[in-house]
Amino acid sequence: MVLTFFDKAGTGVLRAADTFGDFAVLAGRTFAAVFKRPFDGKSLLNQFQSVGVNSIPVVVLTSLAVSMVFAVQLAFGFRQFQAEGLASQVEGLAVMRELAPVITGLMLAGRIGSAMAAELGTMQVTEQIDALECLATDPIHYLFVPRLLASMLMVPLLTVVSVYIGYWGGYLILVGVEGQSAYVYGNEFYKLLAFRDLRIALYKALVFGMIIALVGCWKGYRTQGGAEGVGHAPTSSVVTSSLWILISDFFLTKLLLV
Amino acid sequence: MAVIDVVNLSKAFGPKVVLSKVNLQVQEGESLVVLGGSGSGKTVLLRNIMGLLTPDSGHVAVEGQIIAGLSREELFKVRQSIGMCFQMAALFDSMTVFENVAFGLRRHEKMTENEIQARVEECLAMVGLKDTNKLKPAELSGGMKRRVGFARAIALKPKLLLFDEPTTGLDPVMTDVIGRIILDLKHELGITSITITHDLKSAFEIADRIALLFRGECIACETPEAFKVNPHPVIQQFLRGDADGPFLQDPPPPKRKSA
Repeated sequence: MVLTFFDKAGTGVLRAADTFGDFAVLAGRTFAAVFKRPFDGKSLLNQFQSVGVNSIPVVVLTSLAVSMVFAVQLAFGFRQFQAEGLASQVEGLAVMRELAPVITGLMLAGRIGSAMAAELGTMQVTEQIDALECLATDPIHYLFVPRLLASMLMVPLLTVVSVYIGYWGGYLILVGVEGQSAYVYGNEFYKLLAFRDLRIALYKALVFGMIIALVGCWKGYRTQGGAEGVGHAPTSSVVTSSLWILISDFFLTKLLLV
Repeated sequence: MAVIDVVNLSKAFGPKVVLSKVNLQVQEGESLVVLGGSGSGKTVLLRNIMGLLTPDSGHVAVEGQIIAGLSREELFKVRQSIGMCFQMAALFDSMTVFENVAFGLRRHEKMTENEIQARVEECLAMVGLKDTNKLKPAELSGGMKRRVGFARAIALKPKLLLFDEPTTGLDPVMTDVIGRIILDLKHELGITSITITHDLKSAFEIADRIALLFRGECIACETPEAFKVNPHPVIQQFLRGDADGPFLQDPPPPKRKSA
């Protein structure tokens, strides 16, 4: 009984170490391949399109919805002790520091990470990745690198879009519904913010971009078992990258706010 | 020196031994056909030759270079001289036929777009495909996909071609077409080749030598004429296509008497 428990625990630890090691090795190989030739500009542009441009509607809609509902809650909360003016300040702080990068990261983990896992998973089970190998092309260089670069550039850019939309989401509620002055809202939104906050948001977005691309590609690349495996890869990718986004958000916040 | 030298190659997946001390040599310009039942390790043999799998023991040498001992860069150099045709073609489904065939040329050759265009058309003509440049793999039939796969494999002018069950799942007429294309490629390009197939008709047409893998071991590797008259019961059962005999591990269902 005790032996069985230790057996299972040991197997679990070994499996976890194996999984993490595999991810670390593939991530390391991806970064090492970034500067290798040939440079595939067309593939990179395609990824900019699918990761960045095609994600704008999703990011705009979610940022608008979250910033609006957050403004409603803030207006309600601060009204309890006649401090409505603080709502726009806290809205600015929350949007810039947390909501914009995290919501963008989570939405892109769902939209982009899952697509990467499904695409690479399908390529794996239909031997297209083996075909790349046989055509003397490193799949890590050809498939991972453009996706990683596109995510690392586009997630921060989309985070800036999200901050901008967040501003107008708060405006719609606090100025349009709650009747605050537009001039005051414009000033108060940025009152508690410094340039450092934008920098922190962009650092976070950069890390989230890395997580989304690496986890998505890794889950796809390691797909096994036909249709069932391809079905499992995006789910697993979204769950894993969402978890890592939230966990890394905590540590990045602690680290960068010191 | 043999172009491909498979020495005591063994490979197992967990407890299942797929290849056990297989020895094969393929000489320059020779066409070797590997026969064997499903799961007998034929594809695993090809994947070891390409370096997609690492042997448990033994080795595969291509032109004297031991595949498992090469660095990634060295392995990629060797792979540029080998064309691999996959069982289900493994075409890149996000690309057109033209882009599929041009893929290796764009990655490894310093050619102008016109030269690439000419080479792609030449390769597609060799496999009997014209006016398919702009089609996507999803728009092609099974036989056309295999042929595009062949064109992609020969685009880089390899010294060695590996065919993994090129006729599986095709109708008899298309099977014959594929067999003729392999023969044409052999005669026109003089390429050394290894073909894995279940189709005995095309096997005897294209083979200089035929090998039979049985339960992970190579039990014969000889000329088609010698293979036909080899008295080994497994070979004779395979040639007859009969369910009764030592070939199957589990006994087949009894044969019903026709009414």
